[in-house]
Amino acid sequence: MSDATFRPATEETPLARRILIGLAVTGLLILVFAPLVAVFVEALRDGIMASLESLASRDAWAAIKLTLTIAAISVPLNAIFGVAAAWFITKFDFRGKAFLITLIDLPFSVSPVVAGLCIVLTFGANSAMGAWLVDNGYPIVFAMPGIILATMFVTFPFVARELIPVMIEQGRAEEEAALTLGAGGWRVFWTVTLPNIRWALLYGVLLCNARAMGEFGAVAVVSGKIRGETATIPTTIEMLYQEYLSVAAFTLAAVLALLALVTLVLKTLLELRHADQLAATHRH
Amino acid sequence: MRPLVHRSPMPGLGLSMGITLTMLSLVVLIPIGALLLKGANYGLAGIWETVNRERVWAALFLSFRLSLIAALFNLVFGVLLAWVLVRYRFPGRRLLDAAVDLPFALPTAVAGISLTALYAPNGAFGVLAGEIGWKIAYTQWGILIALIFVGLPFVARTVQPVIEEIEREVEEASATLGATRLHTIRHVILPMLLPAALTGFALALARAVGEYGSVIFIAGNIPLVTEIAPLLIIIQLEEFNYDAAAAIGIAMLLISFAMLLVINLIQVWSRRRIGHV
Amino acid sequence: MHIEIDEISKQFGATAALHPVSLAIPSGALVALLGPSGSGKTTLLRILGGLEYPTSGRVLFDGQDATGLTVQQRRAGFVFQSYALFRHMTVFDNIAYGLNARPRATRPQKAEIARRVTKLLDLIQLPDIGARYPSQLSGGQRQRVALARALAIEPRMLLLDEPFGALDAKVRKELRQGLRDIHDTTGLTTVFVTHDQDEAMELADVVVVMSMGRIEQIGKPQDIRARPATPFVREFISA
Repeated sequence: MSDATFRPATEETPLARRILIGLAVTGLLILVFAPLVAVFVEALRDGIMASLESLASRDAWAAIKLTLTIAAISVPLNAIFGVAAAWFITKFDFRGKAFLITLIDLPFSVSPVVAGLCIVLTFGANSAMGAWLVDNGYPIVFAMPGIILATMFVTFPFVARELIPVMIEQGRAEEEAALTLGAGGWRVFWTVTLPNIRWALLYGVLLCNARAMGEFGAVAVVSGKIRGETATIPTTIEMLYQEYLSVAAFTLAAVLALLALVTLVLKTLLELRHADQLAATHRH
Repeated sequence: MRPLVHRSPMPGLGLSMGITLTMLSLVVLIPIGALLLKGANYGLAGIWETVNRERVWAALFLSFRLSLIAALFNLVFGVLLAWVLVRYRFPGRRLLDAAVDLPFALPTAVAGISLTALYAPNGAFGVLAGEIGWKIAYTQWGILIALIFVGLPFVARTVQPVIEEIEREVEEASATLGATRLHTIRHVILPMLLPAALTGFALALARAVGEYGSVIFIAGNIPLVTEIAPLLIIIQLEEFNYDAAAAIGIAMLLISFAMLLVINLIQVWSRRRIGHV
Repeated sequence: MHIEIDEISKQFGATAALHPVSLAIPSGALVALLGPSGSGKTTLLRILGGLEYPTSGRVLFDGQDATGLTVQQRRAGFVFQSYALFRHMTVFDNIAYGLNARPRATRPQKAEIARRVTKLLDLIQLPDIGARYPSQLSGGQRQRVALARALAIEPRMLLLDEPFGALDAKVRKELRQGLRDIHDTTGLTTVFVTHDQDEAMELADVVVVMSMGRIEQIGKPQDIRARPATPFVREFISA
């Protein structure tokens, strides 16, 4: 045995390594890369012109506009919630904190379909509140507010659960120092807290946005899928696919897949550049 | 008795508490409450009557059984992935690491139609499987593949930080005591990963049981054979059968709560034994 | 066991952690490797234990070339600076680990393993902690459990890396005597690494002073005190 063949006690044999790496790479190629590639292959099946033409259709445009609007409303609202909840949970001591965190995490363990069902039962025309709202001209279910509520439900924990660990780790000392120096509450937040959590906030918003634009199950239940009115990109994909308009369906799917890829690239960049300012462990 | 909220010089108690509790109630608690209320009005007997039908049982059982198999696959593959990504250096590792998150980032409907295109009898993988007479799409195999896809990142992502934290000295200690590498992996490393791996397993399982978007396209949705529980809810809703939808919804909600409880118990258990999660 | 280190050197990339060093450790001796951090003392200890492979030179155990032996084959009782106890195992299982790891043919019976663990717990004077987990022990107790775990494999020598480094002053004093007693009862050739000259002088039969990957002086504590061989040694022991 020479220096070159000496194997430290904490390493596997080169053969074992190669097998494990091979299994990991093959598994991900089949399970993850193949579906991703398939989206683009199917979208471009009839050439790029056919794909672009399908994108230019009125329904596709309406869906894209609706999805962007939904995200533009629900993501900022969830960001505000996430910051407020993280502030409340990390800056104050109160009874039931663990329970509150569990409640905030709850949407992650509820099926999107059940989430949609909950919103239909609360605000649908057959409930007391829903009937009153419809009579007064504010329908929620089968209309935009319902889609926003459903989207917010499924993305509810994203920002808060990214911020809470970061803010726990940073402690309260800097805010306390600012207070002793005479700063008011908002000044402390804008000049001390926000700069410390901005990358974690961005990270949470990024994941929240990706999920908001791609949500299908919950939205499918509450939206009624009215073409050109309440059909988002994912529900339009479903309708096109059911009508055997494969290229059109996969072209819209490719748009969302591109969004997912951009999200992943930005997320990876954030992790590389600002690892110290993100939550130490990432669980989704 | 401890005060409800401790006095603190920090500003913004009222505002942050107000926003938190209002939005939590409006978006999450009231809707879930409405479902539970509906169930209460419908009555236990009513729920039982709805759930206790062959088609519903078949769907619940199918969802749970396939989710369990998918989560078990992801348990093994996730630990392997986490190990390879943390311990080995090879070209393309970063790309591989980023790709693990793709199932989180790719919308479920996109994954659904794309998996269907791949595994359908005329799809790239479907043709290969067809040659040995194996039908994947529109059978339970297809559902299983979709559920493996959506649950793939959970175990890898919960286990990765734990592997990063293992002290090399612990592995060296095992070797100096005469243990082979395999013995060290089985008796020292895997037990250390177990709590995190089980947490990831439970998360993947919970996600799979409720999954809808990526499954319905590839499932075929044949009653009693490839019809999943969330789809039954949608069918009931489309027939304006709200009581029945609520009953199945509550059954699924209870399964979710049970799994949430299991995750919390795993963490309490591991903290008590090892002193950390 | 008689240990001989023959012209051992170790390179980490471009930096030399050990210039060729030679050292003979007589059977049953209690030797301290003393030096500041970066002096190569821990690297030398890890080479003895088989955790590092030397760039050149040989290690001889009782005159036999042991350079190529794997960690597992060396049967060196190694006590790590952080103790490296297995957190998910009880104290009992920690100590029994090396015996359970043996191939079935040479593995003692369950009852025999239990008997030996109990004996070791008595030896470290902690007879009642077998059912506890490492997180429930004090620093001093952890160190003694790590020692018992190393002794359980009936080692041919005992290697300790800063065995008292993580402890406060009072516990440190107590445990020094404990190590001396265990050395005297077992008669094992013992090498420990330390940066604390009091510890080295008080405990060891032979002190090896190291600096910058070289051995500066080898000698009995009183000789090193009385006649430091180099300016470095004089400076280091007067500090």
